[in-house]
Amino acid sequence: MAASETIGEELLRRGISRRALLKYGAYLASLMALPPLQARAMADALAAARRQSVIWLSFQECTGCTESLTRSFGPTLEDLIFNMISLDYHETLQAVSGEAAEQARLAAMRENAGKYVLVVDGSVSTRDGGVYSAVAGKTNLQVLEETAAGAMALISVGTCAAFGGIPHAHPNPTGAVPVSAIIKDKPLINISGCPPIPEAMAGTIAYLITFGRLPDLDQLRRPKSFFGDTIHDRCYRRPFYDKGMFAKSFDDEGARKGWCLYELGCKGPVTYNACATLKWNGGTSFPIQSGHGCLGCSEPDFWDKGSFYRPLSATTAHPARTVGAAAATGIAVGALGAALARRAKHRALTGGEKS
Amino acid sequence: MTNPEPDAIDRDLIEGLLRELAGHLHALAEHDLTGAIDLRSLPLTDVQLDGLRERLGRGEVSASFDVAGRSEVWETRYPGIWWIRHYDGLETVVVERIEITAVPEILRAGHADLAAAAANLRRELAVVEQDYRAEVGSHGGI
Ligand code: SF4
Repeated sequence: MAASETIGEELLRRGISRRALLKYGAYLASLMALPPLQARAMADALAAARRQSVIWLSFQECTGCTESLTRSFGPTLEDLIFNMISLDYHETLQAVSGEAAEQARLAAMRENAGKYVLVVDGSVSTRDGGVYSAVAGKTNLQVLEETAAGAMALISVGTCAAFGGIPHAHPNPTGAVPVSAIIKDKPLINISGCPPIPEAMAGTIAYLITFGRLPDLDQLRRPKSFFGDTIHDRCYRRPFYDKGMFAKSFDDEGARKGWCLYELGCKGPVTYNACATLKWNGGTSFPIQSGHGCLGCSEPDFWDKGSFYRPLSATTAHPARTVGAAAATGIAVGALGAALARRAKHRALTGGEKS
Repeated sequence: MTNPEPDAIDRDLIEGLLRELAGHLHALAEHDLTGAIDLRSLPLTDVQLDGLRERLGRGEVSASFDVAGRSEVWETRYPGIWWIRHYDGLETVVVERIEITAVPEILRAGHADLAAAAANLRRELAVVEQDYRAEVGSHGGI
């Protein structure tokens, strides 16, 4: 695709009609809880946009975030998303290596100065000058600072980049910190999760391209459309929680009948993410549906919050205790809040427009 | 496995949505205002969704097409209320919405597509003409 070509022109050249963008616009509007009539405006904006240059840096991470992004959509939608971005640098996915790879990053930074989106997965080592994680003789810290300088915006994908994640867990031998602790002068979005939900990553990137601005973010800079509700708010086992019907072990009668997993350590009440609605593997299932409580992987310090199997209200000597206790005693408030939130969302989801 | 019949709560919810649709339809008829409801973002169970679909039924028009995955569009028993369902390449439903409009946007051919089609057709005709001239030429004219 020529650099000057718009996404619409490129699709046309390949014999794909505008209907593909309308369909994607409808999908994105639904995904991000935008007014459904915006689908058409989004399709028009996408058709007129040029492919977004994306530089993807991987630091102290496990590559799960990339696995998640590349393996979850039906091939047709995935194809569309990769048509919207020009992935100019990604160590795992690119064909070049060594010196040529380094040159590819520098060239992309030069050619798209001030316009590229920098995606980071993995935390940044800072102890002893960041020597514990380096590529091509440069520490992650140096590469981050160098690459962020010319970026339009940053997206930290995965809990490691967003909050430090597992490398940041006690005793944090490498002095791992999240990207936001280093880069403070750029628009930054966190898409946490270990790994994050692929639709949240792709949807946020598409939103940036379409509207040229950041989506609404929560206080941890996560897009509200994906992180606005807790897992507990949208959990299909919630009616059992509300009735006080809890599985007491993983093989008891309650577990077999699909009762609430709260007493088995579920962190759903204090975890903001969209697993309960978007689910995983193309909408197949999510941990709670598979019989295991939520680990809370999209929240800061999830690894250090005591046992995954200890009920929230029983967690001791940790800040999570307060939140957990509040969640446990606030059943009625929680249910009412969820109902009101749903109603507000419903209002936002329907609307009229002059045709 | 078929879903159970809607109970009283389900029926209430469906009625609520129908009332909302009636409002949209009125706005379309009187003020030419289109509307849309994203069904997948509403907290609907499968029973409620099936119930709503059955209640709206099928009208005269239906269409299916394959662009970035299959899509089905049909007019319900109420002209102007359209049910739209998009699948991805793995046959998973990715969009399910109702549009209140005379013709859903996705069924219309876009401007850029029309222009490209005109250019393509002209190019194809030029090739046919060229072939014809070549053939006539090789036979030494009429
Ligand atoms: S505690 Fe966990 S399993 Fe129980 S309703 Fe909440 S999110 Fe679902």
